[in-house]
Amino acid sequence: MECSFALTGKDYVIVAADTTAARSIVKMKIDEDKIKELSPHLLMAYSGEPGDTVNFAEYIERNIRLHHIRHLVPLSPSASAAWIRRALAQSLRSRNPYSVNLLLGGYDTAEDKPKLFWIDYLGTLSEVPFAAHGYGSYFALSLFDRYHNPEGTVEEGLATLKRCIDQVSKRLVVAPGKYKVKIVDKDGVREVEI
Amino acid sequence: MASADGGAYSYSLTVFSPSGKLVQIEHALAAVSQGTTSLGIKATNGIVIATEKKASSILIDDSMLDKVSVICPNIGIVYSGMGPDFRVLVTKARKSAQAYWKIYGEYPPTRVLTQEIATVMQQATQSGGVRPYGVSLLVAGWDINRGPSLYQVDPSGSFWAWKASAIGKNMTNAKTFLEKRYNDDISLEDAIHTALLTLKEGFEGQMTEKTIEIGVVTVPTAAELEEGKIGGETGRPRPTFRKLSEEEVRDYLSL
Amino acid sequence: MSIMQLNGGSVVAMVGKDCVGIATDMRLGNQALGISSEFQRVFPLTDRIYYGLPGLATDVATLRERFRYRVNMYTIKEEREIEPETFAHLVSSTLYEHRFGPYFVEPVIAGLSKTPSGGLKPFIAATDLIGCLNFAKDFVVAGTASEKLFGVAEGLWEPDLEPEDLFETISQTLMNAVDRDAYSGWGCTVHILTKDQVITRTLKARMD
Repeated sequence: MECSFALTGKDYVIVAADTTAARSIVKMKIDEDKIKELSPHLLMAYSGEPGDTVNFAEYIERNIRLHHIRHLVPLSPSASAAWIRRALAQSLRSRNPYSVNLLLGGYDTAEDKPKLFWIDYLGTLSEVPFAAHGYGSYFALSLFDRYHNPEGTVEEGLATLKRCIDQVSKRLVVAPGKYKVKIVDKDGVREVEI
Repeated sequence: MASADGGAYSYSLTVFSPSGKLVQIEHALAAVSQGTTSLGIKATNGIVIATEKKASSILIDDSMLDKVSVICPNIGIVYSGMGPDFRVLVTKARKSAQAYWKIYGEYPPTRVLTQEIATVMQQATQSGGVRPYGVSLLVAGWDINRGPSLYQVDPSGSFWAWKASAIGKNMTNAKTFLEKRYNDDISLEDAIHTALLTLKEGFEGQMTEKTIEIGVVTVPTAAELEEGKIGGETGRPRPTFRKLSEEEVRDYLSL
Repeated sequence: MSIMQLNGGSVVAMVGKDCVGIATDMRLGNQALGISSEFQRVFPLTDRIYYGLPGLATDVATLRERFRYRVNMYTIKEEREIEPETFAHLVSSTLYEHRFGPYFVEPVIAGLSKTPSGGLKPFIAATDLIGCLNFAKDFVVAGTASEKLFGVAEGLWEPDLEPEDLFETISQTLMNAVDRDAYSGWGCTVHILTKDQVITRTLKARMD
């Protein structure tokens, strides 16, 4: 089942999401990238109803890009979060709402701070030091409570993330096999292997 | 094009003439200045608005004529110009006041209601297929924030606050008269008499309770305010604006 | 599972002597799972009005934006700050506008209102999710711990509390109530509004 994790560190945010695309009980694909790069310093991991997810993520991606083109500057992480939340909140009370859960990790170049937002399909928005969606969250959040260091280095952050992934693999019946991990910091976005 | 009647720019549309005028609005003002005189005076403890009510025939039942209108318990208005246009504005103003009450649980301050009416009048100068309203208004009201206030609204949608003003026929003379008579510590009783004297200046025929209409704003006393805004068992706010009855007008006229 | 209890959270407001208090917990959850311990559900509106929105967190954010917009427009149009009573009616009418598809929040309003003589009078109010106003003279409660809050407040509240005593009363009321509620807790914030200042404190609470 789908799992996504994210955590902040001293000057970065790590975002991780599993890479399985499933339909009912069948795995259709095992190398799906479910983390979109919305702007040079913004990552969005998405999960939820298949079909809704990609459609909504692309809608967000294009609109954030449009803002960048129109105004020559990218929308800040917190402003992006507010805009995305509003899109979901409006969708919630429409005839067929999107069911997409998001983790929005970014680096605010104006404030020189990493930012992480937990957003669910209802349009609930919360800025957090670490976050998770899916069944993995029941394991990951407890581990984060114990091991997360808001001032930690990238290596430390990745080690904490590894703990979560390993624990989920060990204890969750429906654990995903592979994860994609991306980091955003002052230099932009990069992918890492773990 | 530069003919005396406004040329090609004077009909049906409010369009700028090359000289920068909106001739339709000027025509509307002309309609106002042909209307019967109305005036308003702000006193220390209230406001009076008054107007002359003229029936074109003795056969008309003048008890049915209404020129001073209550908009909500704290605001009343009077007009000079076209009666039918005024009635439309009164309806819109009353609806606006009730809409405000439905949202905020209280009636609008005078300034807000005036602005609302002014917006309606302005829109008629910029929309297609309509003509400007042929009226000027005097809006008198009381609210806790600004106290008693008296506004004038013109067909263009512009509005001002006055201590005393007059609109309609003879407005220039009436204003000159008011300028002479007005002082900052006039009482409501004196203001009512001044209003009647001013109307008398340009009055044709007999001034009676049938040909004069008066509305007054009474400023609540500190004790009344402390008691709360709810009056009686109806739960309605105690009115601060009311129209004087024919008996009351007759009494003022006989003094 | 009720949608009102999905995210958890509670708010209480109390009247004191020439002061009012409003207090809230800081938990944001997804049923039993805690998501954040820094969630804000009490907001300042003016220097003398605070309001809390316990209920569904997405609607907390939506309504907060809505009220901010409405009150900003009001302030500009009327050239004055909104009074607590007027704001309470605005809240009520906004919620009732959505009578048949409501926002799932139960707002609590605390403020100091101007009296005609220029003084300030404590004001509290609460509404249900469709805007039925409740003007109380002592205290109002809302949220997942509301039953417990009623009980504790009923026992602790007394008339004419000075700001510091009110702070103690409202803090104890909230903390003891949310400790008995699985969906509320994870830290508390208390605001005491007096005529010349707003005292805001975060409480060290049980984090389990």
